Amino acid sequence: MTVTEQHAATSASSSAHSRRWLSFLKHQRTTENITGWLFVAPSVILIFIFGIFPIGYAAYMSIHTWRIRQGAILCDSEPVDFIALVRSCLSNYESAVLGDWGGAALFALGLVGLFVAYIVWTRLFSKRHENVYAVLRIVAGLLVMAVGITLISEGYNTMTGALRPRDQAFLKGLQITIYYAFGSIPLQLALGLVLAYVLYHRVKAKAFFRTIFFLPYVTPTVAAAVVFGTVFSGRDTSPMNQLVQLFGGDVQRWLAEPRPFLNVAFGWNLEGFIAGPSMALVVVIILGIWTYTGYNAVIFMAGLGNIPGDLYEAARVDGATDWNIFRHITLPLLSPVTFYLSVLGFIGTFTAFNTLFVMRTPTNAGTLDTSALVIFDTFRAQNRWAEATAQAIVLMLLVLAMTQIQRSLLEKRVFYG
Amino acid sequence: MVSRLGKVLVFALLLAGFVFPVGAQDDMMAMDWESVDPSGQTVVFWHQHSGAREEELAKIVADFNASNEWGITVEAINQGSYDDIYNRMTVSLSTGEALPNLVVAYANQSAVYYLLDGLVDINGLIDSEMWGLSEEEVADFFPGFYEGDVFPQYDGVRLGFPPNRSMEVMYYNIDWLAELRAAGAISFDGPPTTPEQFEEAACAATANPFSGATSDTGAIGYQLSYDGSRFASWTFARGGDIFDLEANQYTLNSPEAVEAMTFLKGLYDKGCAGEIFERFEDQTNFGNGVTMFTVGSSSGLPFYETAVSEGAGHTFSLAAIPHTTENPVQNIYGASVSIPRTTPEAELAAWLFVKYYTTAEVQAEWGLASNYFPVRASSAEALAEYIESYPAYKAAFDLLPYTKAEPPVPGYDPVREETARVMPLIFTGSDTRPVQEILDELNEFANAELEAASSF
Repeated sequence: MTVTEQHAATSASSSAHSRRWLSFLKHQRTTENITGWLFVAPSVILIFIFGIFPIGYAAYMSIHTWRIRQGAILCDSEPVDFIALVRSCLSNYESAVLGDWGGAALFALGLVGLFVAYIVWTRLFSKRHENVYAVLRIVAGLLVMAVGITLISEGYNTMTGALRPRDQAFLKGLQITIYYAFGSIPLQLALGLVLAYVLYHRVKAKAFFRTIFFLPYVTPTVAAAVVFGTVFSGRDTSPMNQLVQLFGGDVQRWLAEPRPFLNVAFGWNLEGFIAGPSMALVVVIILGIWTYTGYNAVIFMAGLGNIPGDLYEAARVDGATDWNIFRHITLPLLSPVTFYLSVLGFIGTFTAFNTLFVMRTPTNAGTLDTSALVIFDTFRAQNRWAEATAQAIVLMLLVLAMTQIQRSLLEKRVFYG
Repeated sequence: MVSRLGKVLVFALLLAGFVFPVGAQDDMMAMDWESVDPSGQTVVFWHQHSGAREEELAKIVADFNASNEWGITVEAINQGSYDDIYNRMTVSLSTGEALPNLVVAYANQSAVYYLLDGLVDINGLIDSEMWGLSEEEVADFFPGFYEGDVFPQYDGVRLGFPPNRSMEVMYYNIDWLAELRAAGAISFDGPPTTPEQFEEAACAATANPFSGATSDTGAIGYQLSYDGSRFASWTFARGGDIFDLEANQYTLNSPEAVEAMTFLKGLYDKGCAGEIFERFEDQTNFGNGVTMFTVGSSSGLPFYETAVSEGAGHTFSLAAIPHTTENPVQNIYGASVSIPRTTPEAELAAWLFVKYYTTAEVQAEWGLASNYFPVRASSAEALAEYIESYPAYKAAFDLLPYTKAEPPVPGYDPVREETARVMPLIFTGSDTRPVQEILDELNEFANAELEAASSF
């Protein structure tokens, strides 16, 4: 064999080897792929069956007439154009949930306006430090915010006005949901943080107190709601009324009071969204705070345990006060926990059901009916299955949007250490 | 070949899908029940009875299973509350799951089942020479009960059959009334029969607590419970109605309804009536001698007895809702039993059990055990001793000729819920608009609900 032949043979052998190797790698990758898919298959199947399929089926139901039995699809068979086709398919959303697309667009534009106001507030002239720019930033931010709020208000009124009275429940429910979420989550987080901080730094027998604080969270919701219903009953002799009378106050209807809290407490006669939650809803918010503060405290305590002790020591050596340490070390390093809890809190309050369902009575006149309860009523009592699924999908999109907005606004401020 | 076979199969399926249901419906409407043989059928019966009532029902079912000549077996199954049963039925009708052969249903629920093509018109069975009821038997049923399941808006179909009924009545404290009369605080004897007398007694009771009260909670004449049936009862008692069957429209804003709500609001404003904040609060307060009057179902009588015996131990009775009409007009309610569409044999078997269930003897037993009213006048003979020995029951029984029912229309449940929500807004003044305006809005809501619920 000549050198050339040897070289050719070697080259051929090398090429064949490479092919075999590539084939082996390909085969191995395929095998790995299959193995991987087999490992995740049970989860994928479960997620598909219990997660994706119901959502897809709900979307399918929402574009039909569907009252107990499936009716015709709503999509126009001979649409004028694509927009007309989409509008006809989404007519349940228009007639029973959102009222008017123009109003919905105004509402969405208002939300965008608020986001822009936030950007203006935090970023405009951010590299200039003169006071005049700070004032400009604040004024511009406030102006954009005012425009955003006006658009939201106009959009909401337009949507509600376009709906028949019996269909206005969902939008009213959204308003109540927002009161519930913003009334309970900030306080739950703040109180949980304070409790956790005090417990972690000042108190012995942490495990015992952790258990005590966790108890409300594991107490069955319905039982807690029933007990709160008795404590906050409108009876003259209810525990809360006795307490109020002990301090010289007047008997209150508490859970049976549909009037806004601000009206009952301060006599303010405000109208619309700024009237605020009813007294009954405030009681439910108190129950929510009681339930979740301890849970938040326990999670915060776990977060506190992850903050390196030498940071505190260094700060103390540098002469930092307790407040400085809390403000500049504890709070930033707890921000991932705060972010996690606030996201969970918003999802939980937007989809809350059990407590509100147990505590609603004719006396609170629908002021506890959050969106989730309205969806339930639309489905169960009115048998309007298609409209109920349309409402559920709108609520799901809102929860997704809220989560995304929180991520956009807060995640950049989260400090992962 | 395969293609041709496929086409034939598709055609056959289409034929079965489009033609058979129509044919089946026509068959059902003109069913020749005389030629149907119910022998050996099993009847699945969904009901909501629990406790002593369920035990008595089980006994009735066992007796029927042992004695019927066709070898029919009834299986009575508790399916939870009325709402639970309704939800199961609607899901079954929606998905095509197996239906029961007999089901407990309120008239408004059976209207929904009917609109979904899920119920048998029982008129055909009643009229059957072989299986139906004789004229004497029909005449034995209390008319108000018997007619309650006939739907004029659907050409007079009968979608249910009543095995029991109860009535909305006023409970009152006899001893306290006697004290008020003796003290000259009221000007009449016996229970109040007119709204004016009711107001007089309620206000007098609020000002003059019962001597035997076992609770130091302040006395109150009447505790208002917020419920669609209370709304209807007080409206009926003024000669009005909440529904116009001829026009097929709600009349929740009728002059009588406005008068009734205005009257109750007046009681509240004067402090002679108060709210109910917790479940059964009025019943407990009545038992403790704190509340003079309550309005509720006659079937709650045993619970009131318990509350009174554990409370003030006073004597009490039932009476008609104070009325402006010449005779009382009493709101009766209660679920009937309906026969879902399954097979003619099973439907007939279910009817034969219903027929047995509503015989005078069985009704007497059932009335005794359940505290419901029997639906047949002749049952009163069997119950004569019991009725005489039980004045409260007798007082309610004597009101049976004066009954009226709430509307048997689909979509009534959300209307009831909305009515219950509107009532506290009126009485507490949370809604400051005139009563007429509030009820106009309620009526508009109700009619929109009716319109939406009347088609599927």
